[in-house]
Amino acid sequence: MDITKLTALELGRKIREGKVGVREAVSAQLAAIEARDKDYNCYITLNREEALRRADAVQEGMDAGRYASPLAGVPVAIKDNICTKGIRTTCASKILGDFTPPYDAAVIERLTAAGMVVLGKVNMDEFAMGSTTETSHFGATKNPWDISRVPGGSSGGAAAAVAAEEAPLALGSDTGGSIRQPSAFCGVTGIKPTYGTVSRYGLIAYASSLDQIGPIGRDVSDCAAMLSLISGSDKRDATSVPQESFDFMDALKDDVKGLRIGIPKGYFSEGLDAQVGDTVLAAAKELEKKGALLSEFDLEAVDYAIPAYYVIASAEASSNLSRYDGVKYGFRAADYGDLQEMYKRTRTQGFGDEVKRRMMIGAFVLSSGYYDAYYNKALKVRAIIKQSFDRAFEKYDVILGPTAPSTALKLGESLSDPLKMYLGDIYTVAVNLAGLPAISLPCGRDKQGLPVGLQLIGRPFGEKDILRAAYSFERTRAYISPVQE
Amino acid sequence: MTITDETVDYAAALAKLSLTEEEREKAKEDLSRILGYIDTMNELETDGVLPMSHVLSLSNVFREDVVTNGEEREDLLANAPARKEGTFLVPKTVE
Amino acid sequence: MKNYEMVIGLEVHVELATKTKIFCGCTTQFGGLPNTHCCPVCMGMPGTLPVLNKKVVEFAVAAGLATGCEITRHCKFDRKNYFYPDLPKAYQISQLYLPICQNGGIEIETELGKKRIGIHEIHMEEDAGKLVHDPWEDCTLVDYNRCGVPLIEIVSEPDMRSAQEVIAYLEKLKLILKYLGVSDCKMQEGSLRADINLSVREVGAAEFGTRTEMKNMNSFKAIARAIDGERKRQIEVLTYGGKVIQETRRWDENKDTSFAMRSKEDAQDYRYFPEPDLVPLDLSEEWLAQIKQGEPELRDAKMKRYREEFGIPEYDAAIITGAKRMADIFEETVVICGRPKEVSNWLMVEAMRLLKEAEMDAEELTLAPQKLASLVALLEEGRINRTVAKEVFEQIFKENVDPKEYVKEKGLAMLQDDALLRETIALVLAQNEQSVADFFGGKDRAFGFLVGQTMKQLKGKADPGMVNSLLREALALRK
Repeated sequence: MDITKLTALELGRKIREGKVGVREAVSAQLAAIEARDKDYNCYITLNREEALRRADAVQEGMDAGRYASPLAGVPVAIKDNICTKGIRTTCASKILGDFTPPYDAAVIERLTAAGMVVLGKVNMDEFAMGSTTETSHFGATKNPWDISRVPGGSSGGAAAAVAAEEAPLALGSDTGGSIRQPSAFCGVTGIKPTYGTVSRYGLIAYASSLDQIGPIGRDVSDCAAMLSLISGSDKRDATSVPQESFDFMDALKDDVKGLRIGIPKGYFSEGLDAQVGDTVLAAAKELEKKGALLSEFDLEAVDYAIPAYYVIASAEASSNLSRYDGVKYGFRAADYGDLQEMYKRTRTQGFGDEVKRRMMIGAFVLSSGYYDAYYNKALKVRAIIKQSFDRAFEKYDVILGPTAPSTALKLGESLSDPLKMYLGDIYTVAVNLAGLPAISLPCGRDKQGLPVGLQLIGRPFGEKDILRAAYSFERTRAYISPVQE
Repeated sequence: MTITDETVDYAAALAKLSLTEEEREKAKEDLSRILGYIDTMNELETDGVLPMSHVLSLSNVFREDVVTNGEEREDLLANAPARKEGTFLVPKTVE
Repeated sequence: MKNYEMVIGLEVHVELATKTKIFCGCTTQFGGLPNTHCCPVCMGMPGTLPVLNKKVVEFAVAAGLATGCEITRHCKFDRKNYFYPDLPKAYQISQLYLPICQNGGIEIETELGKKRIGIHEIHMEEDAGKLVHDPWEDCTLVDYNRCGVPLIEIVSEPDMRSAQEVIAYLEKLKLILKYLGVSDCKMQEGSLRADINLSVREVGAAEFGTRTEMKNMNSFKAIARAIDGERKRQIEVLTYGGKVIQETRRWDENKDTSFAMRSKEDAQDYRYFPEPDLVPLDLSEEWLAQIKQGEPELRDAKMKRYREEFGIPEYDAAIITGAKRMADIFEETVVICGRPKEVSNWLMVEAMRLLKEAEMDAEELTLAPQKLASLVALLEEGRINRTVAKEVFEQIFKENVDPKEYVKEKGLAMLQDDALLRETIALVLAQNEQSVADFFGGKDRAFGFLVGQTMKQLKGKADPGMVNSLLREALALRK
């Protein structure tokens, strides 16, 4: 039995049954990371010693019957923008290169309480700005399907680690597609929950009104289990929503009879790779065969999601990232005369190009004289997009489409042209603007053998609808791993 | 939207960044293209639409006025680039 | 020489008297070692989020209701972005677009009569940290203990025309806030600070002149002098054909002059936008009613009650309630010993005299109600006379002495011994035959003289009433 090939729930069951020890599970995972990560560069910081110590403590707890979670004892990789007490948390940026938080994010507290073991911190685009994981200060992550390609981003390290079997499960974050798009590129499954479902406390902010933490796993069930664990309101996050139930496991039914699925016509037009389009539509047909009701419709105003997204996200980012000023934590430039020089040198040397670009866009769209034309306009566009989705969900339970317009791109292909990279977010950003839940799961491969992602979008707090549809689709095909023995 | 040198310099100053001549040219070009694309928003009629700053229909989230935190100075200062006697040390501020 | 008038508007920052900071559970206690009243949230550490202290909203609403403001039923927080080491997030959470209170005003009274000063808005925000210059290394040390302490900023309309009006406005505001219990308004600890926006214009001009802003004034004296100084400076600039520049100036109390603060390196463009980490506030009718109901008794109500319940004259009640501290002492003392009129007299006459002598504000009065009550009782029981009582009061005021112990220690208690009194009177009569004769001759003043002589012999420790009656008795026997 190769422990690293098990899904998280399978591994959890074996641990509970005593067939695999927690230390054994963690060690196997660490060994896989050591063997492969030099090729993929998924991890920024490995938590080796502490993970092993913790494995023993969890084992003891399990032997004493202390953990009830199906994920107890299961190791997990954490995107490096989620604070971990005592473990360096860098946001893949030089400016936070030596930052060690004195606190855990709310999600870390939850998975620790459930007996999960943090393997380490995984790579990402700097401050989650990017969709290739190439803007990381710690070097690009490579796609396990083809190391000449990007894993997507910004949670590229998390998706690649799960695909490369360097972790059974990971936590990522999604501001404009950062969980879904790398999941699609790496052939794994990822959920961006409804805004307010998972506490953002301890998630280093990129764009506060859009950010959500979510799971990335090798199947829908693992993601549902992880999501059940991390969801729920938190007193420390005023935007976390109290809900009656966050148990998503009962949504895992192979049954889509009568489920109304809407397919936005505009999603299958210009700009979409034909193979991706065909693969996604074939997946829709599979769901139809199982009894789902498909119809095409116009999702209005969604064409304006990218401009609105880049205005809002950049504006919030420019403010959120102002705190990195060399005063309290993180990097401070070595040579400076006065305070202003310290600020400028620290920030100029500490941030990468893409982050700087967005901070400048953000500062500009909020600046005196431009607020109404850009920022306020974008908020109005956001309102219209939200209304457009609201209308669609009066008719449909789930909206289906591609996650990304293409399969994984070559390394370096989009770095030189930021606008081209932004346009790649066409199917994902509207979901964040409207605060909706969405899942990406593999639905086939293109001619080059690269995975294609299927995106299912739900109404607010409609996670169970998309989980049910995703689970039902997943029954029609076997998981394919890029890791060949 | 055409972006001038002044606009780039202003945005950089607000973000507390300095740009080399080369970076400024690149930034000017990038920002012009990106903002030009962003301007397509203007095709969408938004008269009478209320700007949506919060996507949730949530209001009145509070904490009670009860002290919950104790002293944790050492932890808070542990990441400081420069410190002195329990404070953060920075270059002299004007005044 | 042209005739100029001033146009003044104030921005008053008031630290609220909550137990905890506005967005985290850290104490707001003044002082403490640097950075010991802090947590990851108020220090703006990565990933932390603000959660609003409910009490801050209630205090802000109470302040708004007490100053005649409209309460903004749906309000939000905004971020004000700027870099400075005392602002750890590099933005201040404040309110720009929808402040919690708007369009109010309060009435002030000066020598020129009554006048209403408009309040443009009151908004909630967080305080910044403290910067201390370190002369050893010629750098700045940052302490975030005050960072995140809740503030309300009360922005007046430009309705004031003189330093007197400014002081009257501030005093009125201070009194209202203290009565509400929303702030201790200690200027020396920075819990009430005023920024002064001042311009001058020719009398009768319709337009306002260019204004300057003087920041963080923290004493009434400094405010009055700064206004006077800035008025003179601006008039001088205009008289010599110059132009007043819109700028922020700093008042130097020691040099008695203001100077322009070096302008920041870049333009002030705060890039306000709605704070995404906090949800909006919806203030329901019920909640507002609850806040109103929970309000402590305000000054007007107290004055009315003092008149009706205690029979205190209006003038007296106005003095007693002129400072919340004094009203508190009054009420606490009356609870212990009753005798409201007597207590009121002590406070409004003796306490006010001593405060004036010491150049103290009535809010600084530290008289223990227990001790004042004890003094009133000693007097009522006839254990001391009024002259002695005044001395004792002064000692309570200055040295915080215990009245009973003090009277005992100093031997100030009145003689309760009839025999000694009669003996002394007999002696006085024998030594002053002429006065006795005058008395019988119809000269009333002679009686007063004899009383005085008796008191003198007894070193003032006799009850004058008793001396009176026993003296009359003794004289009657001689007749």
